[in-house]
Amino acid sequence: MILSDLIGAQVADAEGTHVGTVVDVRFVIDGNPGQLLADARLAGLLVSPHGRSSTWGYERSGATGPWPIAQWLRWLHRGLFLVHWEDVSMVDVGRVALRAGYERHDAALGPRTSDG
Amino acid sequence: MKRIFAVALGILTAIGGFVDIGDLVTNAVVGSRFGLGLVWVVLVGVVGICLYANMAGRVAAVSGRATFEIIRERLGPRAGFANLAASFLINLLTLTAEIGGVALALQLASGVDPMLWVPLAAFGVWIVVWRAKFDLLENVTGMLGLTLIVFAVALFLLSPDWGSLAGQALAPTVPSSESVATYWFYAVALFGAAMTPYEVFFFSSGAIEEGWKRKDLMTERLNVFVGFPLGGLLSIAIAGCAAVVLLPEAISVTSLSQVVLPVAQAGGTVALSFAIVGILAATFGAALETTLSSGYTLAQYFGWSWGKFRRPARAARFHLSMIVCIVVGVLILFTGVDPIAVTEYSVVFSAVALPLTYLPILLVANDREYMGTEVNGRGANALGVVYLVIILIAALAAIPLLILTGAGA
Repeated sequence: MILSDLIGAQVADAEGTHVGTVVDVRFVIDGNPGQLLADARLAGLLVSPHGRSSTWGYERSGATGPWPIAQWLRWLHRGLFLVHWEDVSMVDVGRVALRAGYERHDAALGPRTSDG
Repeated sequence: MKRIFAVALGILTAIGGFVDIGDLVTNAVVGSRFGLGLVWVVLVGVVGICLYANMAGRVAAVSGRATFEIIRERLGPRAGFANLAASFLINLLTLTAEIGGVALALQLASGVDPMLWVPLAAFGVWIVVWRAKFDLLENVTGMLGLTLIVFAVALFLLSPDWGSLAGQALAPTVPSSESVATYWFYAVALFGAAMTPYEVFFFSSGAIEEGWKRKDLMTERLNVFVGFPLGGLLSIAIAGCAAVVLLPEAISVTSLSQVVLPVAQAGGTVALSFAIVGILAATFGAALETTLSSGYTLAQYFGWSWGKFRRPARAARFHLSMIVCIVVGVLILFTGVDPIAVTEYSVVFSAVALPLTYLPILLVANDREYMGTEVNGRGANALGVVYLVIILIAALAAIPLLILTGAGA
């Protein structure tokens, strides 16, 4: 599977109700140790109920500027949530189904204290 | 002297934007046809490039990411590729023009046909990109390019009617001999040149080449706020010389020899030799800037290792792509195309490249994950959004104006 199989896929819950579009995926770096970093593992999908475009990074940071752009992107992706990969029951061409009782998680990454 | 060299990156970057071969001629054309009636565009452009180059430089210094890396990261592969294609074509066309420009400057100095100089100029660009240390190439071309200040000196020596020049600059009108569309075509061309995307590609990648970190932010700002205004000043001085000498005589500028005519008239052979050295350094510097930018953009989009701080064998695809670009540039020149005309058409590709370059810079400059406490303030964001709107309008207007005016004919 490659990333473009998932991005843009329509997401439905167990009853078949449309809940949104996959706009991005979330990886964590905790797989097998590699040369520099551990392997990346697919942790979940970012599902946007209204938007289909890129989030330009606003979903994971608390960035509020520049005001008009941030507002527009937040409005476009209102209700965006993260589903864990374990809550995905089926992946088909352009279609993703979620398990009954799946959980919607906040898409924001935890606050960073490092200075970059 | 060390202080001056500290701002060499900013100066060289600005030279490539404001006084490369296309702009040397465009500035003189504008001066000879509109007087100083388009000076305001250069000022708007200087503010815009200072704003965004400062953001790009800050992002590079704080996060260690050059501009095309953040374009790819924020816009994703498709929109990023659209930008890459457009930016790459701008780079390639400009690089072609600059090699031609170096040859034209050598012709001005020697009288030998420029076609014979083309292979030597191309070889010169390649050997410097391959062998020279980054700080050597930026110091030499940046400092020698500064001899273009002779245009500002010439303007004073010509003792023009300052009142009438100020009038042209402060109350711009479209001369009766020109159409409104032509005026705006040159306005968009000058603005596009001031904000041409390879400036931020080169400046941000140069920041990585120089190893700038958070503690170097003052140096970064100094580079931006000395380099680009100086570039703008040179651009206005060239237009001013043309406005004083060529406009009254109704001489239409088509070649480099006409660009330097006012300098020769004002300061004789000595001034002329300064101008030729300046043009040679500026076109050569711009050739280096666009060659390296081609390599930087490709490598940063595709994730290749890049940089002159690595030995060529450690950044093989980066160096190979630049060699291919230089060879293609030479082949284009051997078709006999006018190098100066080539740059006029790169305005078209700016329409795609400009918004897709400056938007991601603005987004990442607001992201605390990258920038920590160094995110944009409200003022920078407000101005950034205003400029994004100006860039969009200029980008949308560029192609219709190009067609409508026959490239400003």
